[in-house]
Amino acid sequence: MSAALDVRDLRKQFVIGRPAVDGVSFHVPAGEIVVLLGPSGCGKTTTLRCVAGLEHPTDGEISIGGTAVSAPARGLLVPPRHRNIGMVFQSYAVWPHMTVKQNVAFPLKHRDVSGAETERRIAGALELVGLTEYASRPVTALSGGQMQRVALARSLVYQPQLLLLDEPLSNLDAKLRLRLRDDLRRIIKQTGVTALYVTHDQSEAVALGDRIGVMREGKLLQLAPAADLYNRPADLFVANFTGASNLLHGQVLERQGEFATLAMQGGGRFRAWAPPAIAVGERVQVAVRPENIQLGVNGSEHSYDARVVAQRYHGTQTTYELELFGERIEVVELGTAARHGVGSPVKLTLPPNLCWAYAASETAGQE
Amino acid sequence: MTSITQGAASAPSLRFAGQAQRRALAWSWTCGLLLILTLLVIYPVAMLLIGAITNTNPIVEGYHFERASLDNFLAVLANPNVQVALVNSLIACAGGTALAVVIGLIFSWIVVRTDTPAKRLIAMSSIVPLFVPPLVGAVAWAILGSPRTGLINTLLASLGIDFRINLYSMGGLIAVFGMYYAPYVYMFTASALRNMDPSLEEAAEVSGAGAVRTLFTVTFPLIAPAIVSGMLLSFIVMLGIYGIPAVLGAPANIHVLTTYIFKLTAWSPPLYSTAAAVAVILMVVTGLLVWAQARVLSGRSYTTVAGKAFRPRALRLGPWRWLTLGLALFYLVVVVVLPTLALIVAGFRKFLFIRSLTDVFDERAYSLVHFERLLANPLALRSIVNTMEVGLWTAAIGGALAFAIGYTINRTQLPGRRGIDIISTLPVAIPGLVVGVAYLWAWIGLPGGLYGSIWILALAFIARFMPDTIKALSTSLMQIHKELEEASWICGRGMLGTIRSIVLPLAKPGVVAAMTLLFILAIRELGSSLFLYTSETMVMAVLLLDYYEGGNVGVTAAFSLVQTVLLAVLIGFTQWLSRGAADGGVGRAG
Ligand SMILES: Nc1ncnc2c1ncn2[C@@H]1O[C@H](COP(=O)(O)OP(=O)(O)OP(=O)(O)O)[C@@H](O)[C@H]1O
Ligand SMILES: [Mg+2]
Repeated sequence: MSAALDVRDLRKQFVIGRPAVDGVSFHVPAGEIVVLLGPSGCGKTTTLRCVAGLEHPTDGEISIGGTAVSAPARGLLVPPRHRNIGMVFQSYAVWPHMTVKQNVAFPLKHRDVSGAETERRIAGALELVGLTEYASRPVTALSGGQMQRVALARSLVYQPQLLLLDEPLSNLDAKLRLRLRDDLRRIIKQTGVTALYVTHDQSEAVALGDRIGVMREGKLLQLAPAADLYNRPADLFVANFTGASNLLHGQVLERQGEFATLAMQGGGRFRAWAPPAIAVGERVQVAVRPENIQLGVNGSEHSYDARVVAQRYHGTQTTYELELFGERIEVVELGTAARHGVGSPVKLTLPPNLCWAYAASETAGQE
Repeated sequence: MTSITQGAASAPSLRFAGQAQRRALAWSWTCGLLLILTLLVIYPVAMLLIGAITNTNPIVEGYHFERASLDNFLAVLANPNVQVALVNSLIACAGGTALAVVIGLIFSWIVVRTDTPAKRLIAMSSIVPLFVPPLVGAVAWAILGSPRTGLINTLLASLGIDFRINLYSMGGLIAVFGMYYAPYVYMFTASALRNMDPSLEEAAEVSGAGAVRTLFTVTFPLIAPAIVSGMLLSFIVMLGIYGIPAVLGAPANIHVLTTYIFKLTAWSPPLYSTAAAVAVILMVVTGLLVWAQARVLSGRSYTTVAGKAFRPRALRLGPWRWLTLGLALFYLVVVVVLPTLALIVAGFRKFLFIRSLTDVFDERAYSLVHFERLLANPLALRSIVNTMEVGLWTAAIGGALAFAIGYTINRTQLPGRRGIDIISTLPVAIPGLVVGVAYLWAWIGLPGGLYGSIWILALAFIARFMPDTIKALSTSLMQIHKELEEASWICGRGMLGTIRSIVLPLAKPGVVAAMTLLFILAIRELGSSLFLYTSETMVMAVLLLDYYEGGNVGVTAAFSLVQTVLLAVLIGFTQWLSRGAADGGVGRAG
């Protein structure tokens, strides 16, 4: 019932400017949830709408369950209603002139479903989202979260082979968002439907997705499980986008397998993980997450001398600004005690596994 | 903090005056406005109501209210002629409204939801009819579609086609109503469609509904309030229109309420009280419709969801978009090009009779003879001068009054401003023709010579268009932030000083635009003039109707062209003044 999604070399060029989607390829096996993540305007929605058939791609090919649905080169474009997909919109898009039940029943009206089966499916869908008691209410009498559940029930009631969700939680308040995103994953997994989910919220992506794809300026940079994304970012943008905000500069002295020894700009040697493409002699920048740096642990092989330049106390954690190899980095230490005063020297440990070197030409800019 | 601003808000110029004095001043301002409004609106309407239940002729006998009885009104209600006129009115307006809804909906969908080429042109042409004076449009269509001499019929005959059209009929009335009042529906539905979240339609498509299904199950139900309210508005305007049924209905002896009212006053002896009674019926029906429209408008609207900006959704029509473009061009041709051509041909040709198509291009048949005859008639010149004079006075006094009322309602806490608001909105429910009858009743029996001067025309126009003017002005008053005034008060300026040095300069474009609008509305007004003019105070619209009814098509067309050009220049000027800010103001009053 649920089907694999295959997107190849998808390109979408609006009338003006650079392409909104620029050569995106990925594969979602049946039953998997893939989340597209990226800053505003990177082309997530456009990709999703191309899959839905609401947008006409300029180039490339999209197939659902092995059947091509969009292939502009061959003049093929299956309209949305024949793709057997479900879609949940950011604005809910529940029809305000209908009741909850009428909303959910709508898609079944356009399919060959018997009366008894219709009732059974509606009941099933409403139960799935926990709205059984609300069936006869007008949707305008629901809260935002409930409306979103109606939209979900409506998109699942006809058992589509693929479910598309465009920032379904972004209009909800923070607390509800946390609760609903766990529900959402449970419900999607329960139905076993393949899902493509778009968001710009990282924690949502991690909580929901089996795999996460990071997009930037119309390109898909990396598609991987969350742990890979956070521990082996494919490039500087992904590293920076996922929170590795510290940057150190240096040059590769030698390579040992996956790792490289670097000569830092401000003097000193440093070991970091480096993608295979980074060659000896190349200038690099190293991305480090503030949470991955340990302060004051002595005797480790990868410990370095630094000095506290500034300190910001947040109660349950403290952010230090340190000087390392003549450059500024930020370090976060958990705990209510701020252990290091401004001006004092500290030892810090930087496991090479968690320091990633990228070519100096790459840009991190996301804003 | 709040106490300071509040203190400043209640008449700061009178800081040094005592509390009592301040109150007295506020009350006298309110009473002054209420007095003016009573004179302009309440008194004439009251006289109309009284007139409807008497059976006197105020000119001959003066007012004799002791003979008032509801029986007179009931007798009029039972009169079969009145019933026929009422039924005719309802049929014509219902038919016209149905046609207007179809045209308006199709156009709003084409403009807002499709990728039809030249959409801006289509959007513009969809509201052009708003600017055509109904009488001129009707005259043009009479020239095109009268059963024997109509240009279309001549053309059909010369092409050897046996089919003839006859616009002197209920069908013709409905067709012209529908074509010219479609913009009301269009304006409402187009903006509702624009404000509707396109995902609502996309959700329907994704869940399996085709384009047509989506249109009928999602789109139309969602914009239903806009459709209904555009529908009611166009019905209201059609109901109050005199020019179109007078030109197209009267030759076929089809009388609607408006034309019947006028006929009653044109008999000898004139049946003023019967006319007043029929006018009251017309006013009641209109009032009910206005009330219904207000209910629909204030009801829950589905289309305004959140404060989110939507990306407009343009349906790809593929080759069908040439069909939609064709449809739009056809409408433009029928509503604008054909009537204009008809007026030009009729106005410049010595004889309207055209034997064949080639005959149209025979330049020897053309001359300025009709214009010369028009200008040779002193009455025509006088009517132009009168119209301009009435228009200027209406604009100046009406604009100033509307500013005073608008400011009082929107910007002060003065006592009685609710009452001022209500009375000044009342004329919305009074068709122009009824205003005319009411003013006739109110002033004709009084000494002092107001009736018969151009002042009575100006006063009637001021009252009739007051709601439109105040609305146009309020919009621009609202845009001036309250704090700008407060800042001036804090700086020590008084209330009047602030109005003069802050509010007026800032509101000036709005005030000028509202005055120009009022001027335009006044110079094309026919309905209320009909009962208030004399040969000394003849105005253009009335004289045009006279020419038409006198059967002189050439001069009628020439005069129509003169008025159209005059209006076009003025409207162009207003558009330039407001630079697209306020639109369609001309529309509401029909
Ligand atoms: N219909 C359109 N016409 C023209 N440009 C468009 C259209 N839709 C999207 N774009 C452009 O394409 C780019 C990608 O837009 P898209 O909506 O896919 O971004 P997004 O990743 O979903 O961003 P967000 O997180 O803000 O929703 C943007 O630069 C946008 O301006
Ligand atoms: Mg988006």
